[in-house]
Amino acid sequence: MSADVMVHMQGVTKRFAHVWALRGIDLELQRGRCLGVFGANGAGKTTLLKILATLTRPSAGTVTIAGYDTVREATKVRPLLGVLGHRTFLYGDLNASENLRFYGRLFGVSQCEERAAELLQAVGLEAHTRQLVRTYSRGMQQRLAIARALLHQPPLLLLDEPYTGLDQHAVERLQSLLHGLLQTEDRTIILSTHDLQRGLRICDEIVIQSRGKIVYRGAAADTASADIEQLYSDYVK
Amino acid sequence: MLSSRRFVRQGLAILLKDLRLEWRTRAIFTSMFVFTVLVMVVFNFAIGADPERIRAVAPGVLWVALLFATVLGLQRAVQVESEEDCLQGVLLAMGDRSALFVAKAVVNVCYLSVVALGALPLFSIWFRIDIISCLGALSIVLILGIIGLSLVGTLFAMISANTRTRGLQLPLLFLPVSVPLTIAAVYATTELIQGRGLPDIRDYLTLMVVFDVVFFVVTLLVFDYVVEE
Amino acid sequence: MQQSRTASKPPWEHVQAGLTYGVMAVALWCVFVYVPTEKAQGIVQRIFYFHVSVALTMFVAFFLVCVASIGYLWKQTPWWDSLALSAAEIGVLFCTLVLITGPIWARPIWGVWWTWDPTLTLTLVLWLIYVAYLMLRADATDTNRTRFAAIVGIIGFVDVPLIRWTVTKWRTLHPKPVVLQEGGATGLPPSMMLTFLIALAACLLLSFFLLRQRMALAQRRHELEALRDEIENSFAR
Repeated sequence: MSADVMVHMQGVTKRFAHVWALRGIDLELQRGRCLGVFGANGAGKTTLLKILATLTRPSAGTVTIAGYDTVREATKVRPLLGVLGHRTFLYGDLNASENLRFYGRLFGVSQCEERAAELLQAVGLEAHTRQLVRTYSRGMQQRLAIARALLHQPPLLLLDEPYTGLDQHAVERLQSLLHGLLQTEDRTIILSTHDLQRGLRICDEIVIQSRGKIVYRGAAADTASADIEQLYSDYVK
Repeated sequence: MLSSRRFVRQGLAILLKDLRLEWRTRAIFTSMFVFTVLVMVVFNFAIGADPERIRAVAPGVLWVALLFATVLGLQRAVQVESEEDCLQGVLLAMGDRSALFVAKAVVNVCYLSVVALGALPLFSIWFRIDIISCLGALSIVLILGIIGLSLVGTLFAMISANTRTRGLQLPLLFLPVSVPLTIAAVYATTELIQGRGLPDIRDYLTLMVVFDVVFFVVTLLVFDYVVEE
Repeated sequence: MQQSRTASKPPWEHVQAGLTYGVMAVALWCVFVYVPTEKAQGIVQRIFYFHVSVALTMFVAFFLVCVASIGYLWKQTPWWDSLALSAAEIGVLFCTLVLITGPIWARPIWGVWWTWDPTLTLTLVLWLIYVAYLMLRADATDTNRTRFAAIVGIIGFVDVPLIRWTVTKWRTLHPKPVVLQEGGATGLPPSMMLTFLIALAACLLLSFFLLRQRMALAQRRHELEALRDEIENSFAR
């Protein structure tokens, strides 16, 4: 495995009671690339991301991130991750800047205040820092959650359905933010979505997941959008 | 572990965050305090009009009130953390996870201490008990009891947060396990308000200290198993 | 694929069953026929032999739960968890028996259904703790069940000396109906001592027999699940 491989999954299987969420997943992603995981609801996208985020363990198989095994060396893996899940991980009764400062202290981010202000600007929430997060719209909460995930400058970002609840304007903002991260800061991103169009615009590589397995794998540039759509609807039906 | 700077930094961050949250909403503290007062009032009615009888059961009532207040406070604290899965978010950032446990237990001690402080004057008035003369010794008993209740309670709160009937599991586990502490605390309190001094309750104090130490060690040892997945 | 077990049981199981039944039969004979009636308490005193034996067996069972829980947290194999669960169920069963035989003994002799004597009170608190253990197993989600139960299993037993101490102290402050003979070893004539020991042996053997049966059931269940998983997995490919 070369030093450039950020994520490596081999034979990963995950079972919940008698439901198989993932079956025999093999995946590899180079540093600085953006992977899109597409699939219908229930295809296993969230489980895949949770395993990468060390939030749950695979029933079988191995996962390494930056060379560290996510099960045995989880404490070394976690500082490298920025996670955006279905829930925002934010405290409703604190305001944006308090939330960021709290997580900043946890992560041991130096110059926490400046970093928080910088991120709030980047996600366009600088006008709302004193408001309680409980009063935010879903889109605003999502943006703050992204800021939280970026706080400690993790080399790997895991975004689970980041476009949910965002209006067009917010989506554009998110896309340009992600572009910036990929180009200038050499981050690696894995995002899952069922919005094919938006995903294709930002991803370098894509996989399509169906019923716990990866049924298509390829570079986003190679496949014309129409082909992908056809493939996608084939697998999703 | 305990001396590591990251441990202290993360523990403090969580502690301050919880206190700040509580200061903003005052939800947990209010419900704990009101409940404690309610228990004392209801018991007064339930026991009847005989003032001697009321005085005799007063220590028991106080500690029952604190027990139930602990359960209530912990349940609400768990609720706050599970709202947006914040606990997961925090765990992802933690180095040594027992810092989380220690911070949560300390927060609980704070809440219970403030509740006890507020309830004592009412206790003194309603049950006609002179607590001023034994205040120092009583504080020691209270703090030892509160520490024990917080340790056991916090552990079981985190366990029961991951069950289907989380409201039920916590008291079901917490109350029987804390029986030794309850008995010792009630009897120590009784002795003190009857005018005896610290040397007389040495036995009970020893038990409470032993309880606190044993459970501090045990909970720290098993805490990792509670939060891992 | 594992060999299916044949219907006939291995010889050791027959020996154990035979031994258990045999010693229990001897114990029953001893308690009801052989041992002379105790002067002070009359015929009801005969229940003491089983009451105390069952109580001691209960302690053994709960100790086993603690050991098995530590073993499970350390080794993480299902066998240890099955042992903890089986021992807990048997412990609760024997605990219930103590709580039933206690009043049956107390009522005719002391005129009250319940004497708050230290051992009986300790048994009551243990009953509450281990019933909570079983309820936790039923309520917890799949991934957490065994770990949480193991933690409670350890804590429950660690609490025993603390409960015992406080309950004894508490009891000494209450007036007893009559001075209780706790069925201690001192002052028991040889025939009674012999009967007690046989009854104790019978109870221990019974508990081990039940334990083995229960564990076999648990193991079968695991095998069934493993087979089911294999089948599902092979369909999915």
